[in-house]
Amino acid sequence: MGITLASDVGGTFTDVVLTGADGRVQVAKTLTTPDDPTIGLLRGVEQVLAATGVEPGHVDRFVHATTLATNVILERTGVPVAFVTTAGFRSMLALGRQARVEEERYDLAYERPEPPVPLSHTFAVPERIAANGEVLVPLEEEAAALVADEIAALGVAAVAICLLHSYVNPVHEQRLADIVRNALPDGTPVVTSSSVWPEMGEYERATTTLMSAYVGPVMASYLERLSARLRDLGVTAPVHVMESAGGVLPTALAASRAVYTIESGPAAGVIAAAREGARRGLADLISFDMGGTTAKAGLVRGGRPGVTHEFQVGGKGSFGGRRPGTGVPIKVPAIDLAEVGSGGGSIAWVESGTLRVGPRSAGADPGPACYGRGGGLPTVTDADLVLGYLDPDGFGGFTLSAERARAAIAEHLARPLDVGVVEAAAAVHDIANAQMGAAVHVVTVRRGIDPRGFTLVALGGAAPTHAARLAERFGIARVLVPPQAGVGSAVGLLYADLAIERARTFLAPVAGLVSCSGSRDALGGLARVFDDLERAALADLAVAEAVCVRSVGIRFIGQAHAFTVELPSGPITPETVQRAAEEFYKRYQESYGIELRDPAELTTARVRVVLPSGSRERLAAAPPGGADGTGSRRVWLDGAFQDVPTRERAACAPGDELTGPCVVTEPQCSLLVPPGWHGAVDDHGALLIHHEEPS
Amino acid sequence: MSGDELTAEILRNALCVAAEEAGIVVVRSAYSTFIVEGADAAAAILDAQGRLIAHSLSTALIQCASLRGALPYVLKSHPPDTMEPGDVFVLNDVYQGGIHANDLLVFKPVFIEGVPAYFTGTLIHVADLSGLSAGGMASDATDVFLEGLQLPPVRIATARGLVDDMVRVLAANSRTPGKLVGDLRALIAGANVAARRLEEIAEAHTPEGLARGIAGYLAHTERRMRIGLAGLPQGTHRGGYRLDDGHTIRVAVGVDGCGGIVVDFAGTDEQVPLPINSGFSQTHGGVLYAVRCFVDPALPMNEGCFAPVEVRMPAGTLVHCTPPFPGGGRFGTVAAAEEAVFAALTTAFPGGGGVAASGILQAFSISGARRPWLHMSFDLGGMGARDGHDGPDATGALFGGGRNIVPQAEPIEARLPVRVEEVSLIPDSGGAGRHRGGLGTRTVIRMLDGARVDTRGDRLLRPPPGAAGGGPGRAGGYYRERADGTREPLGTKATRQPLDEGEALVVETSGGGGYGDPAERDPDAVRRDLADGRVTREDPR
Repeated sequence: MGITLASDVGGTFTDVVLTGADGRVQVAKTLTTPDDPTIGLLRGVEQVLAATGVEPGHVDRFVHATTLATNVILERTGVPVAFVTTAGFRSMLALGRQARVEEERYDLAYERPEPPVPLSHTFAVPERIAANGEVLVPLEEEAAALVADEIAALGVAAVAICLLHSYVNPVHEQRLADIVRNALPDGTPVVTSSSVWPEMGEYERATTTLMSAYVGPVMASYLERLSARLRDLGVTAPVHVMESAGGVLPTALAASRAVYTIESGPAAGVIAAAREGARRGLADLISFDMGGTTAKAGLVRGGRPGVTHEFQVGGKGSFGGRRPGTGVPIKVPAIDLAEVGSGGGSIAWVESGTLRVGPRSAGADPGPACYGRGGGLPTVTDADLVLGYLDPDGFGGFTLSAERARAAIAEHLARPLDVGVVEAAAAVHDIANAQMGAAVHVVTVRRGIDPRGFTLVALGGAAPTHAARLAERFGIARVLVPPQAGVGSAVGLLYADLAIERARTFLAPVAGLVSCSGSRDALGGLARVFDDLERAALADLAVAEAVCVRSVGIRFIGQAHAFTVELPSGPITPETVQRAAEEFYKRYQESYGIELRDPAELTTARVRVVLPSGSRERLAAAPPGGADGTGSRRVWLDGAFQDVPTRERAACAPGDELTGPCVVTEPQCSLLVPPGWHGAVDDHGALLIHHEEPS
Repeated sequence: MSGDELTAEILRNALCVAAEEAGIVVVRSAYSTFIVEGADAAAAILDAQGRLIAHSLSTALIQCASLRGALPYVLKSHPPDTMEPGDVFVLNDVYQGGIHANDLLVFKPVFIEGVPAYFTGTLIHVADLSGLSAGGMASDATDVFLEGLQLPPVRIATARGLVDDMVRVLAANSRTPGKLVGDLRALIAGANVAARRLEEIAEAHTPEGLARGIAGYLAHTERRMRIGLAGLPQGTHRGGYRLDDGHTIRVAVGVDGCGGIVVDFAGTDEQVPLPINSGFSQTHGGVLYAVRCFVDPALPMNEGCFAPVEVRMPAGTLVHCTPPFPGGGRFGTVAAAEEAVFAALTTAFPGGGGVAASGILQAFSISGARRPWLHMSFDLGGMGARDGHDGPDATGALFGGGRNIVPQAEPIEARLPVRVEEVSLIPDSGGAGRHRGGLGTRTVIRMLDGARVDTRGDRLLRPPPGAAGGGPGRAGGYYRERADGTREPLGTKATRQPLDEGEALVVETSGGGGYGDPAERDPDAVRRDLADGRVTREDPR
């Protein structure tokens, strides 16, 4: 494996890591440049290249995680989009499939969320295809041309098309797309539902298509700009973007399937946690990724991150899920996680005598007060600094001003609340911990899962400072701080494989596929669908060969919910289908306690194509370097300042023991080991700390 | 957070998740299209005193109230000491907490230290269980026996498995026996899953810990509920609502100012020999829904919410039917009871301008005239406007839900000999006002095979009135559209109306009432409505 660059752009910091054949990792943390994130990113790239002396042209791969797609959907900053559907269904998106859940149920002044496209940008064309794919009403081309003209007059930047039953016969969608494309300026994306996610269920297919159109152009221009800037620097390696299920996509695909990247950044953190845990024989993990702007928690059980196909952007959660009908449904696979809008840069403020933290963030510009970049408002980072948890001499490569932090807390918090600066800072730290707790809560306690047997994996610049205290809240007795924890998500990107999933509705009774008579046609049909999906997926990744995992959706005839069962590789035969059915019966019985062998049917053919391309080397622990790096600092613990030992992480050697209270500092983060915690440095440089008396 | 608090919270959430899981199991393993596409299932955990502990989130409150209302009758006919591990009971009797023939309630005792200490319950509308019309929506059922097979609480399974003789009787009384038995299995599977979870929870927390945790949970909820109720204006507040057929629900809400209220339906019209009456559990659920709209919406739904609310439902009236009066079409009456409570409480607040009424859910079923197939569904009306807010379009007002329970067109067509030609908002259907009522919808379903149609709607002859000077919503209706495009009305409670191949059923839901003087409407709001096509002319009518 050659040289890989990886970059995770967060709300506050941009993390860049580089690794080469020797497995050593070079890290840079730069401030995110929100107006043009490529500026901060390139700055980091230059830093790691300069530090390692690697020639830009020698970089083999650039892997990228970005929150662009999520931000665009949540902040509604996508391009203006028009939506076209079958005549009679113009209200489809406005009507939606909204659920009123929990408190909304009892809200007499309930207001439905605005549809993602205003009705004024929604059109319908006369045409109709039946559930079996037969054309009932041919597409009325004149009407379609009129709609195309109306859309052109609106000046939209993209168009989404979702016609009924296009998952079985896409011919009208394709023709309509041509007609619309002809009326629009060259290059305007026209996205059809049959190309994005050809599964039955018009509403979810429509929103998935719509969001592709809405985010796609923003993503495309961003990635174009990024690639150009990398080229200017001499980096000509292909750019890969992390998708929500933990694989990576080539740029062209990330732009045309922007919805696949919605959980891009958060997914990287969970993948990193799973991998760091697996390396140490830990299979049940809670990844805790706390950056400057947000914190995310994800659950890894039995070594596998949970993946959902019912992802709702902006959805309301309940019991750990985002309930169907509460956000914009996106039908692509995504790693299941919870996110709270609170991080190191979250601003603390006083509202009618009450101390509040976030959700507003100081971001990178102006940043926390202690950065001395013009920020005057106190943040969680300022509080952590005042409490002695952070090293004033080094954080992300610049010094922190405790004076400015104290002044900001005094002016905006301590004075209005009439308390001391340190008390106010301690309260901010505690509130931040409680908010972090909410994310962990959602993925564990709210699902009835007891977090106490899990290991908390701290990733991101702010996580190690808060991780042990957070663990204590839940009675979690073990915290893992991997090497380069401060840029943990970016490190996770190094391991990601190229991967893409494609699926298509395929309705057929199992009996017709396994019987001797007349099964050839149906079986051949299934094999063809798989071949098509596989070919399309390989074309997506622009490769000729890859690992292809096929699966089918299967259910009892008459039911609506299917299980996903993997098929063995090799030809599709009556036996392979029968084995899938047997597996389905078994899992149905395990899940529902019903032993049933009624007729079953296939519902979906699904293909995930993976091209192993992530770094396979174990990253080497940096040899302990420089001075012994020990010292001491006054740190606020349990209501008083104490002198506690500090040491530099770079000076920690495998086998070294840590006993709380102490603080381990490194350039990108600072680990607080509170009293009652102890641990050791393992062979790969990770710190694994335990709580002595789990509560 | 202390270790004890954390444990208590894990326990509470585990109980809710157990109920949620039961609901999911029922939906995923059921056959009735009503359930599988619409996810219309309920699951609950109760204790042996009949107290509601937790329910699944997809559960409408009236279904929850049915499970809660029926358990005491199960215990009356099958005393706990006669129950064995593995027993499962089923009932549908409207006079014993049930709803109507097609809503099957299943209960499973959970044995803790040898005693049935808890019960898990599940409920769905099964495909068919006899009665005048396939699907159980006959609006001409003059007594309960015409609604379908009557089931008092009976044992449907034991540790040895299903009670085959019972299953045979049920199957023999269904037009879709395979689906019925499938649905029954799904209900039992859901109850089993929740029971298994509950046993695990009891093991993890010890039986005493579980009991203590539940007691704390219910008491905490009740305290919060009482705090909310204590904030309502003290005194006796009256309200009423009139159904399409002229019958009236009347209510007096007595607020003691200390956290208790009495909701008394004395003066409500007598029950009628048609399925528009409501069983007591349904009215009770409706009242709880309405009252909860005036307290902290984040309260969990359990016995703590029921305890401070005394509901008086005179037997033999529309809100509490007695044998042999039928109760299948109760939702119009329940919705009227809710509006009556809204009216009473809203006007009690100083400056309360009253409540613009909402369009309600309109149910219908389509069944094969020659071959046995069945589609049951409903559409939702527009919600009434409030002071400061337009009414939302086509939402699940009055029952909580939302449009995610309305099936999509593609799966319907893949499954049944029908074609969905239109599902759209009806322009100008929201009542005019300073704040406009929510819009109703039009659904057009074309028959590809000879069929019969049953309809069940209300607020179609008397559309939802506005408030504070706002206009009423547009009245919806049910129609037969001939192949030549001509339209003729079907009754709002029509029964087994033939629709030939090529003819279509048109379902239009009512819009919500408007709030305030239409002349005061913000011109920007009017322009937006015009651009979106929600209204077609500038002048409010």
